Amino acid sequence: MNLTTENTAVVLDSTSDYPEAPSRFPNMRFVPLYVRFGDDTYRDYVELGPAEFYEKLRASPVTPATAQPTPQDFVEAYEELSAYERIYSVHVSSKVSGTFQSAELAAQQLGGDRVRVVDSLTASLAVAMLSHAIQRRLARGTTDQEIEALVARFHEDAEVLFTVETLEYLQRGGRIGRAAALAGSLLNVRPILGVDDGVVVAIARVRGRQKALAEFERRFVEATADGPGLRVAIAHADAAEWVGTLSEIVWRVRPKAEIEFTATLGAVVGTHAGPGAVGFFWFQDE
Amino acid sequence: MELEVVRHLARSALQNLESHRRRIDDLNVYPVPDGDTGTNLVLTLRSIVEALDSSTAADSEAVAKDVTRAALMGARGNSGVIFSQVVRGFVEVLGQHEGVSSSLLSRAFRGASDTAYRAVKRPVEGTMLTVIREMAEESERKENRRLRPNELLLAVLARGEDALARTPDLLDILRDAGVVDAGGAGLVEIARGMVYGATGDDLPEAPVEAESLGFDAIHQELSQYRYCTVFVVEGDGLDKDALESRLELIGDSLLVVGDPTALKVHVHTDEPGHALALGTALGVVEGVEIANMHVQTAQREERLLEGSPGALATLETGLVAVCPGRGNRRLFESLGAARVIEGGASMNPSAADILAAIEAVPTPEVLVLPNNSNVILTAEQAAALSEKSVRVIPSKSVQAGFAAITRFMSSASPQDNERAMLEGLAGAVTGEITVASRDVELDGVAISKGAYLGLVDDVAVVSDADLEAVVLEVIDRVLAGRKEILTILTGEGAPPLDGLVGALEQRHPDVEVEVHEGGQPHYPLLVVAE
Repeated sequence: MNLTTENTAVVLDSTSDYPEAPSRFPNMRFVPLYVRFGDDTYRDYVELGPAEFYEKLRASPVTPATAQPTPQDFVEAYEELSAYERIYSVHVSSKVSGTFQSAELAAQQLGGDRVRVVDSLTASLAVAMLSHAIQRRLARGTTDQEIEALVARFHEDAEVLFTVETLEYLQRGGRIGRAAALAGSLLNVRPILGVDDGVVVAIARVRGRQKALAEFERRFVEATADGPGLRVAIAHADAAEWVGTLSEIVWRVRPKAEIEFTATLGAVVGTHAGPGAVGFFWFQDE
Repeated sequence: MELEVVRHLARSALQNLESHRRRIDDLNVYPVPDGDTGTNLVLTLRSIVEALDSSTAADSEAVAKDVTRAALMGARGNSGVIFSQVVRGFVEVLGQHEGVSSSLLSRAFRGASDTAYRAVKRPVEGTMLTVIREMAEESERKENRRLRPNELLLAVLARGEDALARTPDLLDILRDAGVVDAGGAGLVEIARGMVYGATGDDLPEAPVEAESLGFDAIHQELSQYRYCTVFVVEGDGLDKDALESRLELIGDSLLVVGDPTALKVHVHTDEPGHALALGTALGVVEGVEIANMHVQTAQREERLLEGSPGALATLETGLVAVCPGRGNRRLFESLGAARVIEGGASMNPSAADILAAIEAVPTPEVLVLPNNSNVILTAEQAAALSEKSVRVIPSKSVQAGFAAITRFMSSASPQDNERAMLEGLAGAVTGEITVASRDVELDGVAISKGAYLGLVDDVAVVSDADLEAVVLEVIDRVLAGRKEILTILTGEGAPPLDGLVGALEQRHPDVEVEVHEGGQPHYPLLVVAE
């Protein structure tokens, strides 16, 4: 079957931090996760935008919690896309969220193989980048095999570096994975973290913002070559000052790269990364 | 009881306890989760070993006296103080005879148990007390009368293990937390070390990784009091009961032990000054240690959360550091040093000390932070002597070493760590403030004896009788050239820093200032800018 933007839809969840997807592409959908402050539950982005979330986070005495979409949420999204013969439902790493699980259950409930659920093994704008890579192939016509190969290569090649002000939020949410070995969060030590095989891992520790930027730059340069198709994304949790600095680094060291996305981390990802977190993503596509 | 034999047994006990120290620290929930029972017992036992090393005792009685004294003087924390009484009761019996027999050992265990129970005002079962009492009971069993001394020791050890396993049945807080008693666990490991030392068998391997504890064991209530306060009062005709009843009014977890010439005090209180004043009213106070238990509890939680199940990173690289001062030791340990050797400017460790630490680290790849320009060469000698792959990161001072160790990750390869830590060293500017010991001119700075002297990267830059002037000059210089973070390690004789930190924040608004209690001698302040 030849897959195109006419017959194939792409469903994202809100941890992709790409809420504009449906308005930019008619074949895309965006299913929100939930954020809960005490007794009040909000749909990520839909009922609680990033700006209001960080404001609330500062003011609220209770710490927020998050919940994956229900299988029913996905069933509804898939049913709404009945005009499409194929759906790629692309989600945050199944090792840090039950979202993939909900989507799988929904797909099973509908039966058949119309819906293909993809575990991105990563999070946030990396997932948005994967959706664009799929969309580029749909735009020129593609096959399931080609998309499967793309996903496999994405698992290998897509990289994330991120840093947080404190490991507290990751620890509280249990999203710390093997990065747990980092000690000394009281000591102004900024961990540089990555995602490996779907889990958060510690890569380095540095002291201060300048050193974190230098570490990002060094690792980015080591892992990439300047050329067309190198795509970069930058996300931050209420720390917009990093975006300009990181963009300048990208333009300086990899002038041919394209900065595909910049975004503020939404409420769900922000709950787990904490204010001050910054993510730097890249993927060499065609 | 021969000095040589006792030395050997004490060393063997210490060695075994050291390898369980972390695990025991993490078990600690009773009486308060201050997370340092293992450390306290190690320090207590270490002071016994050190006293034995310098002892010249010629007979059994003299050995007993030296050991009792060292245990009392070196006792740290609640568990250390009770342990010192176990030791006292044990060796007082053995000291009455030159040889050792099974029946004498049995009486020694009884003496240990009785002395320990007497030391505690309200004995609690399910603790170290239960373990030593059951050990004594085992040694007295009729069936065991015919055992030879080594066989008896093995039976007593087995009973101790069994008693330890049952501590959660006796103490609710242990059952709720799903752990055995930390002090009891320490006593069993000490006994195991001694017994294996006596039988000549190799000690069983200690687990490298801490046991994973449940969430309940991690989050325990804070002590109602903040400061764990320990000191010794020396004098004549000291009245133990009178001191005890006064101290009871200002805190809990109270222990007062010793004899009329020396009393060891352990108390948890919000008024450590008041406790000390009660001591100085009676005699000379020595060996004062005051620890903020709330900080200890937080550190323990952090350590345990980091090590929570499923989150254990593979240990690729071990780190050995040489550090002066207890605060610096803890700082380096909290940042990942597997072994910290006490030492520095006034006390350089030997290559053998460093080698022993390298060998004790459970990884084949080891990094060493010498943290003193006079130790770098020794560290390199030790590296050359070791069969392990060892890299020396040439840190010339403890504060430079601090800038390096903040970048260390045990889960990363030694190459990556070495690169990152050398970068840390290269990006750090260090300063130190000390007191001039004589009139001198150094690097063009005229210095008079007793004045404060400030150095930047080992070069004298300022000297003045006014401490603040020296500190600000040094700090202005280390911060020259886009530095982000200033770390201050306070040592002996450090001034109060509240005003200074305020002044720094005004002068250098973009710099983050962090202050740690280093505890190093001779240098009231060490600073490093990164």
